[in-house]
Amino acid sequence: MTGALLEVSNLHAAYGLTRVLHGISFAMQEGTITTLLGANGAGKTTTLRALCAMVKTQGEIRFAGQRIDKRATEDIVRLGIAHVPDGRGTFVNLSTEENLRLGAYVRKDRENVDADLERVFGYFPRLKERRTQQAGTLSGGEQQMLAVSRALMLRPKLMLLDEPSFGLAPLIVKELFGILRTVNQKERVSMLVVEQNAAMALDLADHAYLIETGRVVLSGTADEIKGNEAVRRSYLGY
Amino acid sequence: MDAFLHQVLAGLATGGIYASLALALVMIYQATHLVNFAQGELAMFATYIAWSLINAGVPYWPAFFLTVIFAFVLGVVIERVIIRPVEKAPVLVVVVVFIALLVILNSVAGWIYSYTIKTFPSPFPAEPVFGKYMSAHEAGAIGVTLVVLLLLYAFFRFTPLGLAMRAAAQNPESARLVGIRVGWMLALGWGLAAAIGGVAGMMVAPIVYLDPNMMGGVLLYAFAAALVGGIDNPGGAVLGGFMVGVLENVLGAFVIGNELKLAVALVLIIGVLVVKPSGFFGKVFVTRV
Amino acid sequence: MTRRQLIPIAGLLLAACALPLLVSDYRVFQFNLVLVYAIALLGLNLLTGYNGQISLGHGAFYAIGAYCAAILMDKYGVPYWATLPVAGAVCLLVGFLFGLPALRLEGLYLALATFALGVSLPSLLKYHHLEKWTGGVQGIVITKPEPPFGLPINADQWLYYFTLAVAIVMFLLAWNLLRGRVGRALVAIRDNHIATEVMGVNNAMYKSLAFGVSAMYTGVAGALGAIAIQYVAPDSFNIFLSIVFLVGIVVGGLASISGAIYGALFIQFVPNIADEISKAAPWAIFGIFLIGFVYLMPMGVAGAVRMAVARLQRKAQNGK
Repeated sequence: MTGALLEVSNLHAAYGLTRVLHGISFAMQEGTITTLLGANGAGKTTTLRALCAMVKTQGEIRFAGQRIDKRATEDIVRLGIAHVPDGRGTFVNLSTEENLRLGAYVRKDRENVDADLERVFGYFPRLKERRTQQAGTLSGGEQQMLAVSRALMLRPKLMLLDEPSFGLAPLIVKELFGILRTVNQKERVSMLVVEQNAAMALDLADHAYLIETGRVVLSGTADEIKGNEAVRRSYLGY
Repeated sequence: MDAFLHQVLAGLATGGIYASLALALVMIYQATHLVNFAQGELAMFATYIAWSLINAGVPYWPAFFLTVIFAFVLGVVIERVIIRPVEKAPVLVVVVVFIALLVILNSVAGWIYSYTIKTFPSPFPAEPVFGKYMSAHEAGAIGVTLVVLLLLYAFFRFTPLGLAMRAAAQNPESARLVGIRVGWMLALGWGLAAAIGGVAGMMVAPIVYLDPNMMGGVLLYAFAAALVGGIDNPGGAVLGGFMVGVLENVLGAFVIGNELKLAVALVLIIGVLVVKPSGFFGKVFVTRV
Repeated sequence: MTRRQLIPIAGLLLAACALPLLVSDYRVFQFNLVLVYAIALLGLNLLTGYNGQISLGHGAFYAIGAYCAAILMDKYGVPYWATLPVAGAVCLLVGFLFGLPALRLEGLYLALATFALGVSLPSLLKYHHLEKWTGGVQGIVITKPEPPFGLPINADQWLYYFTLAVAIVMFLLAWNLLRGRVGRALVAIRDNHIATEVMGVNNAMYKSLAFGVSAMYTGVAGALGAIAIQYVAPDSFNIFLSIVFLVGIVVGGLASISGAIYGALFIQFVPNIADEISKAAPWAIFGIFLIGFVYLMPMGVAGAVRMAVARLQRKAQNGK
């Protein structure tokens, strides 16, 4: 599958002695939104962490043709991959604006950062209201927006989102996913979204992979997966 | 009343030195959750380097700045070479390494410079400034301390690198995810802490005279100050430093005599650790440094 | 203890008893100090090695024991052997009292508090209001005890045997304590104090007692040391003494009774050899050894010996 933005081949990962991923393989084209679905503990978060070299892995990971599985997290970020982690990873003692500026830390084009800040405030006006507020005092939904915005400040080629709907009211999730769709279309940011909320994820994504106990068991377009009997019964509840 | 004022002002002067050292301790603690037992010896060693430079004919202020740079580099090297390997090790191992560092720095200084006490010059004039209340050096020390603290505050608050260092100290994992090289931020933190220590050493040496063991008591007061202010609170550490300095002087002159001054530090340390381990300003004084 | 372990110990005891008859008086004095340090290190190891509570201030307990002995002998004419139980009791109490607030301190904070104790102790000893007991900066000089019952040995030799006897008793006591329930509790608390609390072990009691007993051992050692050196003065009990003890247990081997002996040999003899290079050299060497052992031989000499013995035993079994 040449030309894919992200190619994962036979990825194994373990936490200490506990094996979590048993040979995951999948790929993503540029400009698409792909979702990784699966139950708790299936290995979805581990997959995202593996992409950013936050766990020990075996296997190949290629980004824009280059192998990144042996690189350090800080270098992978510099290639244009922004990770919105599980739990948001907010710098709680820093202000909203400081959090955002940190998102642009590695960028060489400093002169555009201020403009990008305004752009991000355009997507999430509530953040602009709270720009000098300590980030730890923001609500859950606002912190999620902050985490996504911080990732956007990198001007990433690929965004990894780990359970962005977690703990958020459905209305807020809808708003957030709407903005993600807009960002994807307007700015050609590819996205890999890990989600437990299969229904909303399948509405957002173009492609989907189903992961069970560390392996990919099903793949296809979002519509195909939505239509799949087994998936409907286990993950969509009807 | 006169004598009291004099003690308070002298206490502010030494307090500034404690504040600087306490700040260095807190910087390292914030980033690593480790207490740098060797902070005093680092400062002492840097001061000896300054002494060598001055003795070789270098004028005071150039020697001062060269020493600060040297201390910075030394701090970075120590972090990368000695501390890095034991960052995740059990507490006892870490403590042992710090103590070893303390001991090695102390003995190398003794080796090179011998244990005879030396005088260290002050860049400030010898005549007292505010009448009989304060010597020029004491006033100067306060001034230098304030300048250093202001520069640090500005660095952390307004520069991208300072922001990155704060981020790395608070949340290393998220810091990595925005591309910050956390390891180097730690090294930088150590460099800064060592540099601050060097300044503190050069300010205190004219008062206590230069010998390899000169920082022992000073370090204890700095620990007390850092604990009083909240071991992870830079602003609190600074305030704590001034408080401890004044307290030490006033108690020493009027209440318990000069010999028990160190015991004051001991009581403060144990008292704070037992009664309010987060320090008196731990959660109340929220600063952005 | 197995028959196999008894043989080297018996051999060691035999050698220890024969020693004073074979070497010069000065060497006897040095080995006397080795025994003294061994008792002190055993005390520190009990607390830090077995129970995981870091102390950078054990020099203070050594000093308290030493001054107890000196003051009792000098000011009150108490016989030297009677000062030991007093020194032990005082340090047991002081250690226990210090251990109470220390209960709330973990790792680094405890290290910090004990560090403060170690640094500030000399100044407390020099306090002029206490001068009439402590002798202030000059300290106290005491006379060497004579061998009793007119035994045909000199004072140095007698003191050595006396110290040896005390050491044997204290080592036996410690060995007995550590291999039983108390020892297991101490180690369990060190390794997982949350689990032990949940299992119903009284963490607080064990930890405070550990502090008290550890201080008692080091205090008795201090008394013995004072008697041997015949002199106590504040500046000999500064923070570096506490650091020396730390070096001793790291080099000798944490959580090991034999480690106390290896460590004592190290801290007694290495500085003498290093002194010839420079006055500062002993400490540089201590520092380097500290770092070296922590990185390369974390189980200390005792651990290395244990591994070597195990390897030899395996070879012997494979050879059969």
